[in-house]
Amino acid sequence: MKKTKELTIGEEKLEDFLKSVGQEFALFDVRNDYYKGGVPFKKYFFPQKQKIFSKNGGSGIVAAEPPKKFVLFGLDLPDLEALTYFDEIMKTPREDFFYFQNRNRAVVIGLIRERIDAAPGGDAVFQDMGGGRYRVWLNTEKGGDFIKKYKKFFHESGGGGEEENAPQIPENKSLSEWSRSMRALVLDPELLAKAVEWSRDHPIWDELGKRCLGCGICTYVCPLCHCFSIEDSVGLSGECSRCRKWDACTLPGFAKIAGGHNFRPSIKERYYNWFYHKFVRGYNEYGKSQCVGCGRCKKFCPASIDIKKVLETILKDYKKATAES
Amino acid sequence: MDNIYEPQIVKIAKIEELSPTVKLFRLEKIDGKFEKNEDKLVFRPGQFALVGQIGYGESPLGPLSSPYEDEYIEVAVRKTGTVTNRLHSLKKGDEITLRGPYGNGFPLEFMEDKDIVCATGGCGIPPIAALVEYIIKNREKFGRVYVLYGARSPEELLMKDKMKEWEKKGVKIILTIDRPDPKWKGPVGFVTDLVKEIDINEANAVATMCGPGPMMDAIEKILRPLGISDKRIFVSMERKMQCGVGKCQHCTTGKKYVCTDGPVFNYDEIENNFD
Repeated sequence: MKKTKELTIGEEKLEDFLKSVGQEFALFDVRNDYYKGGVPFKKYFFPQKQKIFSKNGGSGIVAAEPPKKFVLFGLDLPDLEALTYFDEIMKTPREDFFYFQNRNRAVVIGLIRERIDAAPGGDAVFQDMGGGRYRVWLNTEKGGDFIKKYKKFFHESGGGGEEENAPQIPENKSLSEWSRSMRALVLDPELLAKAVEWSRDHPIWDELGKRCLGCGICTYVCPLCHCFSIEDSVGLSGECSRCRKWDACTLPGFAKIAGGHNFRPSIKERYYNWFYHKFVRGYNEYGKSQCVGCGRCKKFCPASIDIKKVLETILKDYKKATAES
Repeated sequence: MDNIYEPQIVKIAKIEELSPTVKLFRLEKIDGKFEKNEDKLVFRPGQFALVGQIGYGESPLGPLSSPYEDEYIEVAVRKTGTVTNRLHSLKKGDEITLRGPYGNGFPLEFMEDKDIVCATGGCGIPPIAALVEYIIKNREKFGRVYVLYGARSPEELLMKDKMKEWEKKGVKIILTIDRPDPKWKGPVGFVTDLVKEIDINEANAVATMCGPGPMMDAIEKILRPLGISDKRIFVSMERKMQCGVGKCQHCTTGKKYVCTDGPVFNYDEIENNFD
C-alpha cells in the first residue's frame, strides 16, 4: 500500500503557529478548559445564551448574524468524539440553523495523546507522538486548506521509513483511569440501554433523588447535553427578542407547562430522565450512548455523584436479575 | 440552509370569544394562501402549530379549522400563561407569528371505513374539530362518527354552534359536564351510562382523544367497555414545547418526542412510559 505523506509539527513551532493563527482569526484555545471552568467546547457553536431573532417595529423578523470566522484549538479525544456526535444530533431530524451557522464558520483542531486509526472529529487533529513532535491528521477539506495556509510551521515527509522511527505512543496516555473505564462501559451501549430501562424501579433512583441537588451542573459541563429553552423578552427601547439558552432536564421547571402542571415534579424523575436520555433514548435514536467518558459531570457534581458507579450498580443488578429469570 | 426556527408572520383576521377564558383567532397570511401538503391539506388534523410573538414566546396549538381551508387557519387560545395572555390582549389586524404545522396528526388512512369515537374535554376540542371537518368532507369514507365532549361547566363547552352543523352532516354529538349544574339537563361526567348511547361495530372502530383531562375516565368508563382495544385508541398528548422540531428535549415521553413522533400516539405504545 502506498504510504501517504506525513505531516508533522514540532513542539517549538506549535506556539508560533497558534500565534500566527490568532493574528488572523479569533482563536479559542481550549487545551485547559477542562481544568478551568469545565464548560466544554459546545458553547462556541451552541452558546449558553444566544439572541436568535429580534424585531423592532414593522413586520420584519431579523435572524442572528453568523459570527466571524474563528478557530477552536485543543479539543481532546473525548471532546472530538463529542463534537462529531453533537453535529449528528444537530443534523437530526432537521438541520439546526443557528448551530450550523456557528459551526460552519469555525475551523476545529484537536490535540490528542492517544493512538487512533482515524481522526475522531474536527477539521484537523494534532497527535502527540512524544519527543516534541505532533503528527497532523487532516479530517476535512476545510482542515487541509487551513493547514496549507500555515505550511511554513509544518514538516512534510515523503512517507515510508518514517513510521518505524516514530516513538511508540502509549495507549490512552492522557485519559484518567475513570475515563478509560467509563469509555469501556459505553462500548456496549445496547447493554446500558437495556439495563437503564430495566432499572426504572431500582432503589438507586430513590437514593439519587435524595442526593442530587437538581442544580443542572452535570448537564452544563457535559459536552453532549443539548437541552435548550427559547426565551423571549421585550427591552426598554421596545425591541423584542427571542433567545435560545441552555436548559437542564434536571431543573424543576423543565417539563412544566402553562397552567402549572409538571410532568416530572420530583428530582428522582428528572434525574432518571437524564440517565434515560443519555443511555436509552439517545441509544434508540443514534445507536450510541450519549456519553464520551470525559468525566466532567463527576468532577463538577456538588453532590459527588459518579455516573460510572451508578451504571455499574445498575449493570450488576440487571445481570443478576436477567440471569435469574 | 432553511432556518427551522423562523416563523411566518400572520395577521389576526377575526377574534371570537368562545368562553370567558377562551378566544378563537382566525389567522391569515400577509400575502396569499396557506400552502397545502401532498394530500391537499393545509395541515393534517391532530398536527400542531407554534403561535406567538417575538418578545413573548410561542404556544403549541392544534388548529381547529377545516384542514382544506387555505384562506385562514383558526386556533383556540385559553388564557393560561405569558404567551396566551399576550395573545388575548391583541386586536383584529395585529400581526403574530406561526410555525408549523408540526407532528404527525391522526392516522387518517387507518381510520377509513371504520366507526369513529372522538373523546375530548374542555380545550382539547380543536384537533378533534379539525378531524371532524375532515371526516365531513370525506363522509363516505367513514362509518358512524361520535363526538364525546366534556367540560367543567356548560359555559366551557366550546364551539356549540359548530357542533349543530356537524350533527346535520351525520356526526353524533354527546356533551357532558363534570359537575351537576341547574342549567344542565344532559349527562354528568364521562360515565359508563354513555356506553348505551353509542352504537358502533366495536370490531371495526377507532377512538381518537385529546387529553389529558378526561383521558383516563373516557378510556376506563367508555372506550374499553365499548370494546375498543388500546391499540385502536389514538391519543393526542400535551407536553411542554419549545423547539417543535425534536431537538430541545422538553416534550419527551419515554423514547418518544411528542413534537415529532406525536403528538398523536397509539395508547398502547405510550401507556407504560415512565413519564
